[in-house]
Parts: sequence; C-alpha cells; structure tokens
Amino acid sequence: MDAGMQQLIKHVSAIEEVADDILADKQHLVDLDRKRNKTREAVRILSKDKESKKTWVCVGNMFIKMPKPTAQKLLDKDFDQIDHQIASLRNGLRPKVQKLRDMENKEDMKGFQLNPLTKAEMKSIDDML
Amino acid sequence: MAAAAAQKVQEVREVTRIERIGAHSHIRGLGLDDALEARQVSQGMVGQTAARRAAGVILEMIKEGKIAGRAILIAGQPGTGKTAIAMGMAQALGQDTPFTAMAGSEIFSLEMGKTEALTQAFRKSIGVRIKEETEIIEGEVVEIQIDRPATGTGAKVGKLTLKTTEMETIYDLGQKMIESLTKEKVQAGDIITIDKATGKITRLGRSFTRARDYDAMGPQTKFVQCPEGELQKRKEVVHTVTLHEIDVINSRTQGFLALFSGDTGEIKTEVREQINAKVAEWREEGKAEIVPGVLFIDEVHMLDIECFSFLNRALESDMAPVLIMATNRGITRIRGTNYMSPHGIPIDLLDRLLIISTSPYEEKEIKQILKIRCEEEDVEMTEDALTVLTRIGMETSLRYSIQIITAAALVSRKRKGTEVSVDDIKRVYSLFMDESRSTQFLKEYQQEFMFNELGVDTEQMETS
Repeated sequence: MDAGMQQLIKHVSAIEEVADDILADKQHLVDLDRKRNKTREAVRILSKDKESKKTWVCVGNMFIKMPKPTAQKLLDKDFDQIDHQIASLRNGLRPKVQKLRDMENKEDMKGFQLNPLTKAEMKSIDDML
Repeated sequence: MAAAAAQKVQEVREVTRIERIGAHSHIRGLGLDDALEARQVSQGMVGQTAARRAAGVILEMIKEGKIAGRAILIAGQPGTGKTAIAMGMAQALGQDTPFTAMAGSEIFSLEMGKTEALTQAFRKSIGVRIKEETEIIEGEVVEIQIDRPATGTGAKVGKLTLKTTEMETIYDLGQKMIESLTKEKVQAGDIITIDKATGKITRLGRSFTRARDYDAMGPQTKFVQCPEGELQKRKEVVHTVTLHEIDVINSRTQGFLALFSGDTGEIKTEVREQINAKVAEWREEGKAEIVPGVLFIDEVHMLDIECFSFLNRALESDMAPVLIMATNRGITRIRGTNYMSPHGIPIDLLDRLLIISTSPYEEKEIKQILKIRCEEEDVEMTEDALTVLTRIGMETSLRYSIQIITAAALVSRKRKGTEVSVDDIKRVYSLFMDESRSTQFLKEYQQEFMFNELGVDTEQMETS
C-alpha cells in the first residue's frame, strides 16, 4: 500500500468517525425525548390523582413506595435534567455537522451558524415572509 | 362544486406560469466551465469569451462575499451582449443572492426623487439572512379523545395520542387546544405539527398507512410519511430578505400592502437609519448576515451628474451591493453638464470601476445566436434561410435579424409551410426596413415629410 492510499483510508475513516458520532447523538436525542415524554406523562397522571397520598415509583428494577409530593419533585427534577441534556446535545450537534461538511469538502450551509431571532423580532418581520 | 372550482383555480395557475419569450429569455448562465474558462456555446451564451471570463471571476468573488461596494462597467457597441452578460450573472448567482435590474431612465419619476429611487434600488440589492428557530411537536395522530361534560356546558377535556416511527405518547388537552384541533378538523391518521410557543396546529397531510382507509377521498388529500425520530423537534428556517423589504414594512404610513402594489413612495431617512442600526445590532449578536447582492443599471449614460455623485458616495457605505452598469456610449456629454467624458460617466466614478468590454460578434457567432433564438421561439428554419439571415445580421444588426425570425415564422405559417425558407426571409426583409435602409429612404424623400424645413436643426439633435 502506497502513501496516498494510506492517507485516503485515514481521511475516510476520520469522516466515518465524525459521521458515526453524529448518528449516535441523534439516536441519543430520540431516546432522551422518549424519556422526556414518559416523564411528562407520569407527572400529569400524578397531578391528576387526588385520592392516594403515596405512590409506587420504579427505580431501576425495584419498586419503592413514596409520598406523592416527593415522587413529583423527583420527576420534575428528572424532566428538567432531560430537557437540559437535550438542549446541550443539540447545541453540540451543530459544530459536529459543520466539521463533517468541512471534511467532505461540502460548502457551508447558508446561515447555519446564525443565532436565531427572538420571538418578538421574528413577529415584526413575519408579515414579510 | 367547490372541488371543481378549486381545480379551475389550479389550471389558471398553470397557465400564468408560462413565461413570454423575452429578448434574453434564452440565457441560463454565463456558460463557464469549472476552471472559469468560457465555453464557446453554452447556457445560451455565444462568443464574448473574454468578457464572460471576466464576469465569471467577478461572480466568483461575489459568491464568496469577498467584494462589496465595487462597481463594474460593461461597455460595448449596441447589440454585443451587454445585457445578456448581466442576465447570465443574475442567473448564475442563484436564488439566494438578491439581483435587481433597472434601466438608467427608470429613476426619473414624478413620485420620488432621483436619489430616493437609487437608494431603493441599492437597498433592494442587499439581502439580510436571518434564522428562525421554533420548537415543534410533530407526529401522526393515533387517537383523539374528547370528553364533553354531561351537562353540555363547561370545560371540555381530552387526550391526544401522537406517534413517530420511534415513539408514542399521550398529551392531555385543554379547552384551547381542543378548539384549535376541531377547527383544523384533525382526525386520527393525520400528520400534524404543533408550535410549542404559540400552540398553532398545522395539518401536513394524512399518513400513508391510512391511505386505504376510505375509497372516496377529496382531490386535495395529501399523503405524507409518518415522521421519524423524536416527537419534540427543533426546527430552524433561514430566510433571506432585502433591506428594502424591511424598510417598506416598517415605513408606518405604508403598511405591508405597499410591497405588493409596487407603489412604495418615498421612505423616510429616519426609518432607514433605524433599520440600519437594528441590522447592525443583529450582526453583532450573530443573528444576521449581510448578503451583498447585485444592482444592474442598464443604459447608465442616462443618469445625470447628481446621480453619479450619489453613486460615488453610496459605494463607500459598508452595506453597498456590487454595482454593475452597462452602456453603449463612447466619449459623450455627461448628462446635466457640458463636459465630455468616456462612456458619459465622470472620471472620478470611472476610476472606481472595473471595466469589461464586449466586442462585435463574428459571423459564426451571429449564426449560432440566431439558431438559439430560433429554438427559443420554436421556429424551424432551413439551413439556407439561416445563412441568409446571418448575412442580414452582419450587414444590419443582430437585433433586426432576431426580430425577423418571428415575422418570417408567421409568413411561413401563412403559406402553410413547416419550415422558414429563404423566400419567407426575403419577403419579411422587403416588408420591414432596417435602420440603415430607413435612413436611406429618409434621405431620399426628406422633402415630402412634414416639418422638413427644420431639418438643419434636427441633425444636431442629441438623444442623450
């Protein structure tokens, strides 16, 4: 194998590595969103249930009975944490995609690096679009 | 009935999409290869290789956003493809880069001042790229369940089950959401998006898996795939708007309807300053990008000295577009003064320009252009006729021979011919005079025309 060949393989595997990373992140996002939705459902059901004082919570593979407010607090905390994780994953995805496009010698996507306008700003020019 | 009406509307839309054949409708781009070398015949362009190559280099710089506030002058005799090159540049720039074309005489209007018209043209050629980001919930409706209170009045509650290919979840619905779901006529099997911030529901279509549910389906039913991935997504949309559009929207007296009526009138300087400040602020926050576009002014010798000095100043601005001008004049008087200057443009402005010159077409090129025009206008022509037409084009002008094509096609259709023959061309040539024959005719019969006694003065008349 000559030097050029080796360099090519090195380059292609580097691209694959980045692409794999992106795919893994995307799958992670899906899993997190599923978890988020389940947590949200649980919070809703707990808040609707007015009768019982205590509730069963499954932690790992063990069921624990705990007071409802405690369970609710736990779930709320979970929910916030998941939300936070999703946001940081999404923000991390952007530079990764940019890097991949860079390695594949593709042109930069137009406006990819822009920060979004706020709701109020968007509303003022919404009529035009 | 309603469906029939809707179909009719669609038909009408189809018709309006057909474009009329314009003088430069055959131009698709600059006809350059990857190395920016001009192909002899490509994308409707023929010859003018040097000029096209120069235009290509400039185009590349515009695309990379490297140049702004520069000006280019395309100079050449009439009928040497100046406008064609500008059109080619516009086509090659693509959708995202703003391109404004205007004629020099367009700025003389009663409704607004000259500088106002020029300012508007400048601002039409500068794009602002912004990004909109929304959190949406996108999924296929599995089930909607709405509980009406037994009494008939009071708040309704309900449940909405949504799924993607990966997951499924249940949302509790409040009064407001139920109302908007009913209003949108959402039912199980629809693919919908819900904007998280506003709660706005949009129906994208029906799921493919439900395509067989009913046999009878309205013609508008659109089938879409069940969405993939997560339910709650972040959607980013990039828009490019021009500064002028923002101006018009924010010009309080006008309102946004002015954008469509075309009559925008004058826009106050304060409004523009405010918008410039806002855009600058967005740029600093990384919320907006400036996309310098291209402003093309044809027949630029029609501008007067005030406009030229305005251009001089405007090009210095940090938000100036690339200005392309075209003229067919040689050394002539600058409008509004008694001074002579090359191309009728003051020397100080001329100094800022990159000048591309076009040269007259050769016989071979004229033939090629005529051939392209024949194709564009759907005219079949014999080889002999094309040769004759090329000769006419050489002796009179390219424009005259292009105009003959359509007329000759009509003549040949009249005699039920399928191809335009030499005789058709001859007949049209005898019917319509070209410029030199018309001049000849006038010289011979001048005595019989009205007001010929003033003839001495008219020779001195200037068209500029």
